Amino acid sequence: MRPSRFLDKPLKFDWFFIGVTLTLMTIGVFLVYSATFNEEMVFYDTHWFRQIIYFLTGVAIAVGLVFVKIDWLKRAAVPSYVIALLLLLFVLVFAGDVKGAGRWIDLKVIKLQPSEFAKIAYLITISYWLSKHPVSLHDLKSFAVPLGLFIVPFGLVLKQPDLSTALVFTAVTLVGFFFAGLTFTDMFLLVSPVLSVLFSHSQSMVLQVLWGALICLVVLSVIRRRLSKKFSGVIIATNILAGYASSMVWNMLEPHQQKRVNTFLDPMSDPLGDGYQVLQSLTAIGSGGIGGKGFGNGSQTNLSFLPEEHTDFIFSVLGEQFGFVGCAAVLGLFALFLWRASSICKTNDDAFVTIVTMGACTIFLFHITVNIAMTIGLMPVTGLPLPFLSYGGSFALVCMFLVGLLMCLRYQGNK
Amino acid sequence: MYNDSSENEARVRRNWNVLVFLAGTVILFGVILFKLFSLQYIHYEENFQRSENNRLRRIELIADRGYIYDRNGSVLVRNRPSYQIALQALEMPRKKSDRDSVFKKLLNIRDASGVRLFDSLSLDTAFQRIRWVRTRPVRILEDASMEQVAVIEEHSTELPGVSVIIESRREYPYGTLASHVLGYTSEISEDQLRLPEYASYSQGDRIGQKGLEQEYDKEFRGKNGLKLVEVNASGREVRTLSDVGGLIEPVPGLHMISTIDLKLQKAAEAAIPDTAKAALVAVDPRNGEILAMVSSPRLDPNIFSLKRRERNKGWAHVALDSMRPLTNRAISGIYPPASIFKLVTAGAGLESGIISETKYYPKSCTGGYQYGTRYQKCWGVHGNLNVVHALRLSCDVYFYQAGLEIDMARINEFGRRYGYGEKLLGVDIPGERAGWLPDSASFNQRNKRLGWRWARGLILNLSIGQGQMVTPLQQAVFIGSLAMNKGVYRPHFMKELRNAQGSVVRRYEPEIIRSGTMKPETHRVLLNAMDSVVNHPGGTGKRAAIPGIRVGGKTGSGEWKKGQKTHAWFAAVAPLEDPQIAVAVIIEAGGGGGSVAAPIARKVLMAFFGKEEEE
Repeated sequence: MRPSRFLDKPLKFDWFFIGVTLTLMTIGVFLVYSATFNEEMVFYDTHWFRQIIYFLTGVAIAVGLVFVKIDWLKRAAVPSYVIALLLLLFVLVFAGDVKGAGRWIDLKVIKLQPSEFAKIAYLITISYWLSKHPVSLHDLKSFAVPLGLFIVPFGLVLKQPDLSTALVFTAVTLVGFFFAGLTFTDMFLLVSPVLSVLFSHSQSMVLQVLWGALICLVVLSVIRRRLSKKFSGVIIATNILAGYASSMVWNMLEPHQQKRVNTFLDPMSDPLGDGYQVLQSLTAIGSGGIGGKGFGNGSQTNLSFLPEEHTDFIFSVLGEQFGFVGCAAVLGLFALFLWRASSICKTNDDAFVTIVTMGACTIFLFHITVNIAMTIGLMPVTGLPLPFLSYGGSFALVCMFLVGLLMCLRYQGNK
Repeated sequence: MYNDSSENEARVRRNWNVLVFLAGTVILFGVILFKLFSLQYIHYEENFQRSENNRLRRIELIADRGYIYDRNGSVLVRNRPSYQIALQALEMPRKKSDRDSVFKKLLNIRDASGVRLFDSLSLDTAFQRIRWVRTRPVRILEDASMEQVAVIEEHSTELPGVSVIIESRREYPYGTLASHVLGYTSEISEDQLRLPEYASYSQGDRIGQKGLEQEYDKEFRGKNGLKLVEVNASGREVRTLSDVGGLIEPVPGLHMISTIDLKLQKAAEAAIPDTAKAALVAVDPRNGEILAMVSSPRLDPNIFSLKRRERNKGWAHVALDSMRPLTNRAISGIYPPASIFKLVTAGAGLESGIISETKYYPKSCTGGYQYGTRYQKCWGVHGNLNVVHALRLSCDVYFYQAGLEIDMARINEFGRRYGYGEKLLGVDIPGERAGWLPDSASFNQRNKRLGWRWARGLILNLSIGQGQMVTPLQQAVFIGSLAMNKGVYRPHFMKELRNAQGSVVRRYEPEIIRSGTMKPETHRVLLNAMDSVVNHPGGTGKRAAIPGIRVGGKTGSGEWKKGQKTHAWFAAVAPLEDPQIAVAVIIEAGGGGGSVAAPIARKVLMAFFGKEEEE
């Protein structure tokens, strides 16, 4: 084959990766079809047809991205970051009184969601910085810029308020640190205050013991890593403070505020709100059994018990109609997808490629885990969609953009 | 630059980290798979049973809308149950052929007299709609009669997905009585839903339109509840899951004690024929409470609670009527104030010392007044008069001369003190329109397009009240606070809001909105004049006199179109020494104020003071 005009390398595609992606997309269209099926509807008005259109658009974008040079991505990092911040500011300032207007820019043709765009822009920017400037707990100044880069979009998204998307930014940052110099122990130290809060917020004996063990582990880790005395003190103090403060703050909260936190953590305590959806979702998935009720035969999902079955609760459609086997197969496909995606960083020695790849994998893994855990009642109802399966134009395009990014990195790898 | 070995080391570290990431993925997926296994294998039976038999439904419990009472506790607006026959998308058969058979059965249902309950067109529309509207019921028969409900209940086993829903609808027991004040309710429109002030409403909500129903909708509607129920296979409720927090009780809306006096309102309604375009306002000047308000022709707000076909018929009737019964003439109708405004001219003159009780003008009334090249007519020949006589006889010539001397600025300032002018009085029902007191600047600005310019001769017309714009409400507020001389209170309908238990939640605090005071001497002269208009045998308003009560008033005959009868105005206040009620009446194109409007005001005053009409 004649070398490309832009790139002096032969084509290098991971056909396996592309195959897995296309399979997942196809399953998604079928599930959306089953969830929204309507006998007399004109086909171009249906959800499944629109989903196909979204995916085809996404594929076009992905293919286009393959021909973008990695250098161009690096150059685009800062401008795209600034644009993303401006868009986020724009929706915050011009948030009308219309429901959910704080998240969208309505362009009449399509509703743009700046926080989705910001995910990509932030991923590229933080990777660009971290690839140039590795971080280390022995040099705390190295965290100043990346944390600054992180805190602004995080705060803006949190203000929308969109906690789950803000947490996506957090996950990308943490994984970025992991691939930019931090060890496993360092990572543990960073997230330990959060664990402290989780372990000590209630008076349960088991959790108290766990918390004690956690503090001991933190101390051991600090000693093993030979961190500066000042920083070690801060980490340990933060942990202890976080532990005590969490129970203190909890006791200071008004009962109705406690109730709100409880319903968030445990949706089943509010059977008229989120709990209703989770309850229906659990019934739908559970009634699927091992083999499922068969395609199009979901009595729960097809009766519209779930108001958002084709978007956030698509996994319960899968669980009901294809059972445990279907669920395991889709999880397997997701695992294969992540495996092939993460292997892309082995094709290039550029740290930028590694961090972007792993960041993209993190975005996918975060959405997959949080969404499925929500539909099976393991996590709070947050409204994160499931990649490739959930209906929705904005998110489908983001997923395909990330896939395109991965294909691009793979295609231009130097090995 | 990395050297070879450190580069290699970095690679190894990176690959190791990727492995850690993948291991994390496997652990997370493992947890998910474990939970799935527990749901789909270990707890399969119970989940399967639950999906087959027991179904959970969320049902919205609509809060009771608050009632409206008159000031003495009689119900003016209440609720009645209304039965809706509706399709529930969730209970409909999934197969098209089964659905078609339900459709056919519904079509063949007839009531006792053999009339079909449903027509195929609207039924077809409803069956189309349930494909989109999955979670809410779709109505196929609105406001059904008990007999129709019985027929449906009889066939309920053959009609899966068809159910009877009890709603509450508004009922106005006195029909057209005070209809413009009370307003009506209807389903919220698509246009309203798009507006930000209706963000807390959702499709299908009934919302107050016009009048008190609209103004106090948020207070009346209360807060809807929610319940989680278990239904059986045919969609009937089996139990409410209240023990696990599945019940949020609705909070009923607040009841309003209004300022309306039912007895007075009835008397006022009876005094005004429905064929006339007319308005009447009775207000208590001591606190601004509106005791009665009539706008004629009236409409019956009950039509908006009927089923759609009858509602549309009734709506078309009132909306297309050239008499415009939807307009509340008492607050939205703007008219020339006519001779009633002479009280303002006189007040301004007395207040500034330009005229006094003993001042006579050089030109006596000989049936008209020569101003420049124009000859302005008076309605009679009155001779030479002082201010009290001029008001009693409503002589134009006197006020032509007085107006020219006093000038518009003083007259308008005095009028604004008592509620006239471009500022709204702020009555608590929507639709109030502002009046207009013209002066040279605002006259030129408003008539720029027509090319009219202010001229001094216009003062002649304005000083006798031709050319200003006022609402009947403004006239009533004016004459009441003029007689009281203690300030102008904001006119209002809301007296108290009470919750379902009957305790007062909010009380209307009377509020002074205009200064409404003058010199005691001016007050004395004007009271004298208002008294003589009614109680002097030669007064223009003598038909409003009531023995034993000192009624004061002023007539007016507003010219509005050449060759047409004048608008008949009468404004009255009683008793003059301690005003308790002020009434303004206008009959559009009714004729002279003294002969047409004054008797109507008298009837209302009689009712207020509890006097029987002696024949």
